[in-house]
Amino acid sequence: MLSPDEAANLIEAIAARRDRAAFASLFRHYAPRVKAFIMRGGTDAETAQEVAQEALIMVWRKAASFDRGRASAATWIYTIARNKRIDLARRAARPAIETEDWLTVFAPEEADADKSVLAGQTYTRVKELLGGLSADQLVVIQKAFFEDKTHTAIAEELKLPLGTVKSRIRLALGRLREALEKDES
Amino acid sequence: MSHPAPEELLLDYAAGALAAGPALAVALHVALDPAARRTVERLGVLGGALMEGEGEVPFDEALLESTLARLDGVGVEPKPAPYVPRPGFEWAPAPLAPYLAAQPNWKRVFGGFEEMRLGLPGEHRVSLLRLEPGRGLPMHRHAGEEFTVVLQGGYTDSTGNYGVGDFAVGPGPEQHEPIADPGEPCVALIVIEKPIVLTGPFGRFLNPLVRRGVI
Repeated sequence: MLSPDEAANLIEAIAARRDRAAFASLFRHYAPRVKAFIMRGGTDAETAQEVAQEALIMVWRKAASFDRGRASAATWIYTIARNKRIDLARRAARPAIETEDWLTVFAPEEADADKSVLAGQTYTRVKELLGGLSADQLVVIQKAFFEDKTHTAIAEELKLPLGTVKSRIRLALGRLREALEKDES
Repeated sequence: MSHPAPEELLLDYAAGALAAGPALAVALHVALDPAARRTVERLGVLGGALMEGEGEVPFDEALLESTLARLDGVGVEPKPAPYVPRPGFEWAPAPLAPYLAAQPNWKRVFGGFEEMRLGLPGEHRVSLLRLEPGRGLPMHRHAGEEFTVVLQGGYTDSTGNYGVGDFAVGPGPEQHEPIADPGEPCVALIVIEKPIVLTGPFGRFLNPLVRRGVI
């Protein structure tokens, strides 16, 4: 396993001195996880592997943008992998259009009075949260993240009223806020 | 923020499920609203944890070798400079920058109402609108979903007053007629799923142009 601090150190080593050994360690840990995560949505192994490889190369390119005060390595790499998956899906649908990676800059750079201290969050804390969600809430969250479906598509698939899906999402987000707030305050 | 984006839309965004147009609308709102940003950051933590939690998965040594070989041609980019909007686009948050032309190219639609179309992939029509203070959009209703994010100034319609960063979700079939507030011109990003239908006596003449994408 790789602790959040170790993972952050590896990304900073890439930024500071193009450290290929650090990249290899990061790749060993995250490339298979990105691939497995992408495959959960029904993506074939070959495409998921391409997403994983492209995402980790993006980690190398953008290592200097990583800020351990803003996000953990897992969150940052998740965001990059998500964007790579989106880019790949759009390219498949419309080969002529090159999309920008604007989603990677989802937060502005300016000083933020409300600066995030979520970076210290670990897998354990969120795992506890997921364990505490009702099965109804969990299925909506999983369909969103694993299958990249919108809440509207999820409501259609589960044959549920839109309002029911919305209230499940809001309840789950309330729980997420509670679970993470301990560290934010 | 008096009109935040609905949380389920923030989940769609954080999970990467939105089409390009709606994703840009949410990205701009998130850039302008600290509370929305915090929610999206929390969702990022959740996404990261779900990914981190993937169990023991087979590792492909050859893939690492081929990736390391590719790194020779890939530089580590320096830390990007803080975003500074270009002249003429002072109201543009960072996520909008890649879609803006070199110079503002407002196209006058009619008195006091200008539009700049943005080229995004997907089925949505994505535009920046600029309204002079006190001017309104013609009475219209929405055939599909519509998202609006205010970037400068503000506007008021029957559903309330909207200022910078506020997010409006198209009210469906109800008619509405937004009027720009006094002060600076109102600049907003508008993302429309299907062409709007103009319903006022003047607007009805414009519908064929709307359908053809002229305005």
